[in-house]
Amino acid sequence: MSLLPPIVTIILGLLMGYLGQRARMCFVGGMRDWYLVRDTYLVKGLFAFLVFSFVGFAIFYFLSPAIKTFPWFLNGSAVFDQKWTSIGISAIPSNLLPVPGDPITWSPKAASHIILAIIGGFGLGFCSTMAGGCPFRQHIMAAEGSRSAITYLVGFAIGAIIFHRFLAPLIKIILG
Amino acid sequence: MRITALIAGSIFGLMAALAQAFFRIIPPPAYGICIACHMRDMVNWIAAHIYPIYGLTGGGALKIPGGPVSYKFPLLTIVGILIGAFIASRIHKEFSWKTMRVSWQRPVPEFFWGLFVMISALIFGGCPIRTALKTAYLDITALIGLVMIFIGVIIGCEVIKKKVRR
Repeated sequence: MSLLPPIVTIILGLLMGYLGQRARMCFVGGMRDWYLVRDTYLVKGLFAFLVFSFVGFAIFYFLSPAIKTFPWFLNGSAVFDQKWTSIGISAIPSNLLPVPGDPITWSPKAASHIILAIIGGFGLGFCSTMAGGCPFRQHIMAAEGSRSAITYLVGFAIGAIIFHRFLAPLIKIILG
Repeated sequence: MRITALIAGSIFGLMAALAQAFFRIIPPPAYGICIACHMRDMVNWIAAHIYPIYGLTGGGALKIPGGPVSYKFPLLTIVGILIGAFIASRIHKEFSWKTMRVSWQRPVPEFFWGLFVMISALIFGGCPIRTALKTAYLDITALIGLVMIFIGVIIGCEVIKKKVRR
């Protein structure tokens, strides 16, 4: 059943691409339009996303074992406890530890995670605004035939390799 | 029916929760929809299979950096989005070759914006969509990230205002 996630995500992606193209959906663009001209069309989409995913998680928490870590700041610590005993770290998980994903995922230092969130979040907001939309919007513009967005995607793909080759080990040494 | 951002956002939110709950897009949690992470998984999977040293550790097993859900075969959200958006723009006759006019969104600078956005996204562990998804999963660090994205947007807007005025 290892092919289930790719098949599900490609169908999900098709639907997202279609709806996103029709709605001109953009997450950073919502904040930008609201700040520049107080236009709330796109920012409504961001709030709808937050509310509906929260409601979805809250309902499915009772239906599916895959969401048993749902309020992460309460139930996430079990995940860290389990992982840390297997790799030999003894620490008490803090409520501030994030969902796995950043380069120092299993580090017990909450401050390092917050520093990464501050640097990454700022870079994400600033660079996306300058580029003219969040990554999702750029993918849709590339499919609409924008040459700028296509070179953006090339940079996007190369960025992943540069990050994992050179930057992630560095961040692990400095903050991990 | 006209699809507004409000409708699209609510459908995306429900789909992200559904994908994790019933279609095993886990671990890591809150991974149902993410552009940067799924792109990273796909690129790293391809790179590791073309050039094995890239992901090789110890006993010969490929160790691919990314979400554990994509070790065997990567998530294909990116491919789906590109095809879906292409179909939508073809159906509604909005497809045309174009280039952005403003100087900082010409193809060459845009390449570097893409590079920087991907690097910042991976430092933080998710693109704006996954940041919102993690916030809905009640992760406090992600909330800090969302606020920082907003501050970044404000400063970006000020820079653009200055550039336009000149």
